Amino acid sequence: MNPEINIPTIALAGQPNTGKSTVFNSLTGSKQHVGNWPGKTVEKKTGTYRYNGSALNIVDLPGTYSLTSASLEEKIARDFLLNERPDAVVVMADASQLERTLYLFTEIRLLKVPVVLALNMMDVAREQGKNIDVSALQENLGVPVVPMTASRAKGLDDLISVINNSLKKKNGSPALCMEDNKLLNKYSEIYSLLDDEIPNEYSKEWIAVKLIEKDEEANLVFNRYVSGKKLETAEKLVTEIKDGILHVAGARYNWIRKAILNSIKLLPSDEKKIRRKNFDRAATHPIWGKFIAVGIILLTFITAMIIAIPVMSVAQLLMGPGSGALRDIFSGAPLWVISFFADGLLPVTGVAVMMFSFILGVYFAFGILEDIGYLARLAYVFDRPMNRIGLHGKSFMPLLMSFGCNIAGVTGTRVIDSWQQRMVTLVMVSIIPCMALWAVVSFVGVIFFGAAMPLLIIALLAVVAVHLTFTSALFRKFIVKGEKTGLIMELPPYHKPNWKTIWSYVWVHSKDFLKRAGTLIALISLAVWALSYQHDGNIENSILAAIGKFFDPVSGLIGLDWKLFIALIAAIAAKEASLSVLAVLYGIGDGASSITSLFVSGTGGFENAALTGAIAQSVSPASALAFIFAFFFSIPCIGTVATIYSETRSFKWTAGCSAYYLLASFIAGGIAYRIGLMIF
Amino acid sequence: MNTLDSLNNGEQAIIHKFSGGKSFINRVAAMGFTLEAEVTMISKRGRGPVIVYIRDSEVALGRSEAEKIIIKENLK
Repeated sequence: MNPEINIPTIALAGQPNTGKSTVFNSLTGSKQHVGNWPGKTVEKKTGTYRYNGSALNIVDLPGTYSLTSASLEEKIARDFLLNERPDAVVVMADASQLERTLYLFTEIRLLKVPVVLALNMMDVAREQGKNIDVSALQENLGVPVVPMTASRAKGLDDLISVINNSLKKKNGSPALCMEDNKLLNKYSEIYSLLDDEIPNEYSKEWIAVKLIEKDEEANLVFNRYVSGKKLETAEKLVTEIKDGILHVAGARYNWIRKAILNSIKLLPSDEKKIRRKNFDRAATHPIWGKFIAVGIILLTFITAMIIAIPVMSVAQLLMGPGSGALRDIFSGAPLWVISFFADGLLPVTGVAVMMFSFILGVYFAFGILEDIGYLARLAYVFDRPMNRIGLHGKSFMPLLMSFGCNIAGVTGTRVIDSWQQRMVTLVMVSIIPCMALWAVVSFVGVIFFGAAMPLLIIALLAVVAVHLTFTSALFRKFIVKGEKTGLIMELPPYHKPNWKTIWSYVWVHSKDFLKRAGTLIALISLAVWALSYQHDGNIENSILAAIGKFFDPVSGLIGLDWKLFIALIAAIAAKEASLSVLAVLYGIGDGASSITSLFVSGTGGFENAALTGAIAQSVSPASALAFIFAFFFSIPCIGTVATIYSETRSFKWTAGCSAYYLLASFIAGGIAYRIGLMIF
Repeated sequence: MNTLDSLNNGEQAIIHKFSGGKSFINRVAAMGFTLEAEVTMISKRGRGPVIVYIRDSEVALGRSEAEKIIIKENLK
C-alpha cells in the first residue's frame, strides 16, 4: 500500500507520550503500512484516512522533543518536514503538560507549512483542575487548535475538518514564536543579511534561527548562498551569541508561557502541588523499584505464554496425526514428495504458527506496557546498572526477557527509543542463553562432567558476561557510533490502557511479522529439509552430512567431528531439537527422512540412555566441552533470526548479526577445546 | 556555586547556567531546562539518578547530568 500520489500528505508530529500513536491508529485503523525510513533501521508508519470519497496520507513522524538533529529520530523527523514538504502538519500537544509539549510546536512553526495543533488529553487536564480556554489559546498560538481526548476517540472528526480547512491554504507562513527582545534584535540583523540571498523555497526564518542555534545544516545552506561581506557580518553576529540554543530555547519558552498564561485557569483546589502517587514512589525506589520491574517483566512474559500456549499445544497435537494423514494422501507418490509434505512443509508450518502465536502474545504485553507509561520508571531504576555495560535503563527488559526466549528479547528492543541503543541491545540479546539451551547443555554436560557441572555453568555464564561487555563496546565503538549521553528522560504520567490502540498495534505488527519472519522461517527450514533429506533413512547419505564431512578440517580445529558439527548447524533450526538431531546422527532415533521431521516428534523419539552411551563412547571430553561452548554461543534459533529480520527489516543487519554469532561460536568452541585438551 | 543535585527533596531553585557541552544543552533545553527556569527536586536517593519537576513535567536526570546544571537562589 504505497501512498497515493494525488491525495494530500499530512505529517503527524509530537513529543513522546502525547498520544500520537493513538491518533494515528484511530485515523488509519488497519490501513497502515509499516516500513523503514529510507536507508535506516528506524520504523516508519504511514496510513490512509478515507472519508466521503476523499483521502489523506498520514505519516507518523518519530516522537521527538525537538528538531535539533541531535539524534537519528530527530534527524528523520526534520528531514521529512524540510525535504518531503507535507501539505500540512498536525502537532500533538498534551493539555495536561502544555508548557513543555508546545516546544516542538514553536520549532515547527518556523517552517513553511500549515500547522494544526491537536490539543490532546483534555480529560487529564480537567482532572488536574486546568480549565483551558481553547479560543484564547488559538488566538495566541496563531494556528487552529483542536481539543481532543484521543483515548476516547473524542475530537477526531473536528481534527479532520480543521486539517481540510488548512489544506486550502497552500503555504503556511512561518512564525517566530520567541519572546526576548535582545535576541530578536540580533535575529533581525541576521535575517536581513540573508533575506535577498537565500531562495524562497527555504524558510528564511528557520535558517536564521538555526544559525543562532549553531546548527550545521543551516550553516551549510547559508554558506552556499551567502558570501563576502554579508557572510562575515553574519558569522560575527552568530558567534557573539554564546550558547545560542539556550537563548533560543529560553525565548521559545517565554513565548509559550505568555501564550498560555491567559488561556489556562487553574482551579483553586490544585495549588500546583506536586502529588505523587504511592505506587510511583515505590516504582522509582532503588530497591523496591527493581523488584516491581522484574515482577512486571515476568508478568509480561507469562501473559505472552498464556496467549501462546493453547495455540502451541494444539499445533503440537495436530502435527503427529497431520503427518500421518499426509503420508496416506500421498501414499503412491515418490518418497521425496511424501517427505516434503509430511516431514518438511507440515512441521515447518507448525513451527511458524507456534512462533507466531508467541509473538502475538509478546506484542500484546508490550502494547500494554508502552501504553500505560510504566516503562520510563523501569528504565529509571535500571539505568545505573545498565550504564556499566554501556546501555540505557530501557535495555534491561529485553535482556532479562531473553533468558526466557530470545524472540521475546529481540522484540522487546522496540521499547528503546534511541536507535543506537536499540541496535546494540538487539545484538546483545541473542547472546543471552534462553531456556532451551540449558536442556541440551545439561544433557551433554552431565555425561562428561558430572559433579563438575556447576563449574561448567559458572564458566558459561562468565563467558556470557564477557561476551556481552565486549559486544557492547565493539558495536558502540565501530558499528553504531553515537555520542554517549547520560540519563535525561521524561517520566510521563500514567495512563489507562487504551485497548483499541493496543489491538491495532498487535494487529499491524503481527501481520508484519508473519509476512517477513514467516517467509524467512519457511525458507531456512525448507533448506534444512532439503539438505538433510535422505531416501533410505540414513543421514550419512544426505547432503548435510556431505557438507559436514567437507568442513571436517575446519571443525577439527575446534575439536568437533562432522556429526557434532552437523548437530551444531542443525541446532539453528531449533535448539530444542538438537538432542533429537544428535540421536539421529548416532543412529538411535527412528530413521526419519529428514531432520525437520523432528519438529513433529519434538525432543522425544529416542532413548536417553542410548544417546548417553553413544555420545560417551565416541566423543572425547575436550570435544564435548568445545561442543557445549560452540553450541551455547552459536547463532540463535531461526525464530530469533527471523525476528531480527522482522524488527530491523534489514537483510544486512540480520546476516551481519548471524555471521558475528557464528564467529563467536567458533572462537568460544576453539578456546574451550584447547583448555579441555589441557585439563583432560 | 550550587549544582542542581545539591537540592534536597522538595526544594526549589532557578537555573543559572550550564556546564555541559553542546549536545547536552540541546537535549536538556528541549526538555525545558533553560536559563531562569524554575526547577523542583522531587526525588533524590543515595547516589542514583534524581527526579525533578520542570515546566509541568517530571524529568529523570543522571547524577552527573544534574551536576552540569548550576542553580541560583534556593527558593525553598
